[in-house]
Parts: sequence; C-alpha cells; structure tokens
Amino acid sequence: MRPVSEIKLASTNDSVQHLQDMDESRVLLRAFAPLHSVALGLAGAVVASGLLAVVTTVLLLRGSDEAITAGSLLGQFLWGYSVSVRGIFIGLIWGLVVGFVMGYGFALLRNAAVWLWLTLIRSRAEMDQYSDFLDHL
Amino acid sequence: MYPEEQQLERAVILLNGRLLGIVLGFLFGASLFLATNFLVLKGGPHVGAHLGLLGQFFPGYRVSFWGSIVGFFYLFVVGLIIGVVLGAVYNKIARA
Repeated sequence: MRPVSEIKLASTNDSVQHLQDMDESRVLLRAFAPLHSVALGLAGAVVASGLLAVVTTVLLLRGSDEAITAGSLLGQFLWGYSVSVRGIFIGLIWGLVVGFVMGYGFALLRNAAVWLWLTLIRSRAEMDQYSDFLDHL
Repeated sequence: MYPEEQQLERAVILLNGRLLGIVLGFLFGASLFLATNFLVLKGGPHVGAHLGLLGQFFPGYRVSFWGSIVGFFYLFVVGLIIGVVLGAVYNKIARA
C-alpha cells in the first residue's frame, strides 16, 4: 500500500482536460482512501502502552494510599495489573493489546463504513444512469 | 479496472497528527469539563468521589467549576500529545 500523498500521478502534455481529470482523481483518492488498519493498530498500541506505563510510574512515585487506590481500580479491568514495578510491565502488555485492538477495530469500522457509502453512491449513480433505459429501446 | 480504481485500491490515507491532537484534546477536555460540571450540578454528600481521583494525576484538579476548567486544559494537553504521537507512528508505518 502507498500513502495518498506519495502517489505520483502520471502527467501528460496532451490536454488540460486530462490534467483536470487527474486532479479530480487525486481529490477522490484523498476522500475515499482507506486507513491502514495495522498501522493504526500499532500506533494505538504504542500510545496506550506508553500511557499506562506513565500512569503507573506516576502513581508509584507518589506512593500515597489514595494514589494506590486510584491505580488499583484499573486492576478491575486489566487482569493482573497493580500499582507496582511488575504492574508497569503488565500494563505495557495490556496497553499493547487494548491499543492494537482499538486502533485496528476503528480502522476496520471506518473502512467498512466508507466502502458501504461508496457502494451506495455507485449503485444510486448506476440506477440513475439506467433509469430511462427502456425509453431508448 | 481503470488506473484510478487501481490507485484507489492501493492507496492509504495519512493522518495530520497536529490536527488529530487538537481534535482529541478538545474532545477529551470537553468530556471532563462536562462530566465535572454535571456532577457539581447534581450535588450530593460525596460529589464526584471517583472522578476526583484524577487529581492524583493532574495536580489542581478537583470536582468543582474551577476544577473543570483546570481539567479541561490538562486533558487538552493529554489529547494533543496522544494525537501527535498517534499520527506520527501511524504515518511512519503507513509510509513504510
């Protein structure tokens, strides 16, 4: 897969119309190009694991009972997690998993929604195009 | 298949990290602002006992109107950082 911005559209010297078509296709690519699911999943994983590690470290450094209570609430959702050095690493793993699933899932849903939308637009356009088909027979 | 369609099949979109950060920042900040003020207006004997735990991470944050403004700025910064990092990592992997 190649990013939209890096796609080199072949240009010809033939006609202005052709260049206009190219511009239109570039705009269309920007509008309808899908998200890279794996990339968004990995980005989500990096952010979530980093966030959890920072949160746990901050709570560990503060060390007050209230801080431990605040952190231990996360253990209700993330199995094995606690405000400790071990918890930092468990939080890292949980962050990787949860972040990847969320990022990948979001990209998947977004791409599916765009695909559905495109299919709808295309089918409507085709119906409009052929609606007076019988009149021409 | 037309060349445009082939390009559409191979292309992926890139993210504007700064823009994503600003959007996430406003979203996070506004969420905390609204949640805090909702609890303040709701009132009761222990106003926002759980939300108040955020004060452990964000010094100065309390479940009060002033706290909601402080919390907005804290979460705006957090959202901004998340958006910028997310965009940078995503773009790096998508370009590869």
